[in-house]
Amino acid sequence: MTTQELTPPPAPAQTSKRRRRSATEARPTLFLFPLPALVIFTIFFAIPTLQAFQFALTDWDGYSADFNWVGVDNFVRAITADDLFANSIVNNLKFLLVVVIVQTLFSLVLGLAVLKNTRMNIGLRALFFFPTILSSVSVAFIWKFIYDPTFGLGNSILAGLAKIPQAIGIPVEPVQLAFLGNDQAAIFWVALAQCWAHIGQMMVIYVAGLQSIPGELYEAAEVDGATRWQRFVHVTWPQVAPATAIVTAYTTVQSFKAFDLILGLSGIPPKASMDIMSTRIYTTFANSQYGYAAAESIIFMALIAVVTWLQRRGLKVIQRSEES
Amino acid sequence: MGGAGAAATLGACAGPGSTAPKGGEGAAPATGDAKGEVSFAHWRAEDKAAFDKLIEEFQAKFPDITVEQDISPSNDYQTQALNRLKGGSAGDVFPTFRGAQFQQFVKAGVYTDLSNEDFVANYNPAMLEAGKSDGKQYGLPYQVVLPMPIANKSLLSSAGVDAPPETWDGFLDMCDKLKSKGVVPLAWPGNAPGDAGQLFNTMVMNEQPSDDACAQIEAGTMKTTDEWFVGMLKKYAELRPYFQPNAVGTVVEPLQQLFVSEKAALLCTGSYHISAVRSLGAKFDLELVPPITVNSNPKYLGSYNATFILGINAASKVQPAAVEWLRFLSDKQYAGEYANATVQNVSVAGVEYTNPDLKALAPWLEKTLMLAPRFQFNDLDIRSAVEGSCIAVVGGTDPAEAAAKAQKVIDQRI
Repeated sequence: MTTQELTPPPAPAQTSKRRRRSATEARPTLFLFPLPALVIFTIFFAIPTLQAFQFALTDWDGYSADFNWVGVDNFVRAITADDLFANSIVNNLKFLLVVVIVQTLFSLVLGLAVLKNTRMNIGLRALFFFPTILSSVSVAFIWKFIYDPTFGLGNSILAGLAKIPQAIGIPVEPVQLAFLGNDQAAIFWVALAQCWAHIGQMMVIYVAGLQSIPGELYEAAEVDGATRWQRFVHVTWPQVAPATAIVTAYTTVQSFKAFDLILGLSGIPPKASMDIMSTRIYTTFANSQYGYAAAESIIFMALIAVVTWLQRRGLKVIQRSEES
Repeated sequence: MGGAGAAATLGACAGPGSTAPKGGEGAAPATGDAKGEVSFAHWRAEDKAAFDKLIEEFQAKFPDITVEQDISPSNDYQTQALNRLKGGSAGDVFPTFRGAQFQQFVKAGVYTDLSNEDFVANYNPAMLEAGKSDGKQYGLPYQVVLPMPIANKSLLSSAGVDAPPETWDGFLDMCDKLKSKGVVPLAWPGNAPGDAGQLFNTMVMNEQPSDDACAQIEAGTMKTTDEWFVGMLKKYAELRPYFQPNAVGTVVEPLQQLFVSEKAALLCTGSYHISAVRSLGAKFDLELVPPITVNSNPKYLGSYNATFILGINAASKVQPAAVEWLRFLSDKQYAGEYANATVQNVSVAGVEYTNPDLKALAPWLEKTLMLAPRFQFNDLDIRSAVEGSCIAVVGGTDPAEAAAKAQKVIDQRI
């Protein structure tokens, strides 16, 4: 009897089974890993979203046991017969326009200005980023005092500027503004506060995007005799397109969600001149009109989706036209 | 697993309104052993120390009961308290604001019926009305606020005004005199709608054709375009020169500074700011100077509000202990401690005011005052539209135009 004879032969069936599991089949237990996330998503996002659609078809006040099904009446009312809701959409679009343009432009300019990793630029980046770490309510309180017409920094600066011509004998009356008290301009002043708080954050995205542009592209452009502006238009701008897409999409969503800034600057319910969609929906909930507020929320979601889609389409068109 | 998920989703999507209040709707609070931890939910962060002291005294008397304050900012309390309280996990004892919030809580069945509780008799009967609904005493209005402009008496005297004017011409004359002395006659926070709206109470009280005019505006039986309302807005327009510059852009905190530094004579908010201006260092004597908008036979000489309407949560698991805390607060000795510590008048009868400001204001409680009309509005948007028309007029809008704009919002909500 040899050692070889004593060794039992491997079981062919067991080997092939083990090989099949490890090579081609995912173990069933692997499906347990995404389960916690899936449960959280279902409870805190999917179910409330479905419920919003259900509430939107009722006149539920948020606490009564009774309610009536009203079909699409809430949607019809919000779209055709509610000046306050229409006003909030207009305010939100004004706010969005200013914030997206100003925030994108300034963050790109700042990103270009502090691009090189010198000690000073790193310090400046930290300085510009600083407002981002403040809570929106803190930002609101800072700007509330800047915008105060009696003691605020805004009117103090305007009064100081008037002293320059006065010093050389030109009589100029200092301009003093109502800021948030001016119904036509209030939403733009709020947008300015929003830009101040978030430009630094967007600048960081641009710095990352700009630093990833290969230097060879600029060298080639220089060899071709491109000016600085031409290098920016034909190299920098197309190359930072992914960063621009992130910045504009993020800024858009931020603009729709600027709830706490308005809350801090004007309280709830805010004055009509500062009422945006999120504050309007909140006021409607607070007014015990849950069904109607749910309908407003769904319109709100749809509007964000449309604006974001239009933005992405617009950016693609711009980039394609520049590439060609 | 998928089936369970679908079932859970469908279950969660059961009809709205399926979360009815747990307590007996409109029932009297339960009796039994008074013990346990009582959650006292409210929005008065500025009163925390005063309540802490009262809680200490209460717990010495009732060692089996503890009271914990659960304080939210007033904005959050207005919007979120109902959902927090109706489950019974917080706010065994709670207050509401007079008007919309009180009615909402009654309708939601959060209040118990206090009609048969002995301590209700401790309150001034006239003040209890604000806590009643359908003949039942659901809440006890604890604070009496005087929402009228507070004035610096020494500035008034220096301008030759020895007593609050009781006519519209007298009020405008006072403003003229103050302005010629180089001070801002009226400091008014036009960019803080909650505070700005307090002036509306006294501006409307002698202009309205009936005491329930604001309720009628909300019901649609009166309009802001009616002659009397536009007339009131015109009086707001007459006050334009006397407000601080750019009044519609100002919030209340800088105005308190303006008032304390004696650069403004009247702070057009209410007695609830007396404590704040004192803590900022105001040493001068104070007086209330409401605008009387008629030149003869004013129906009302001022306005008051009975608010902080205390009640027992129908879903509370410690109702006997909660009742003891409410009984304690309703005792004139402890109500007096609260009043003097917070510089707030209270509606408990027989309270001795030792605070000099409260002593000075006490005669006002004997005058013919109107229960603050702005709280007749139960719809926040309608109230904002009406009060917003006053702010718009101060900002320069034509009164008729502002009234029409407000009425359009109201028409869409009726």
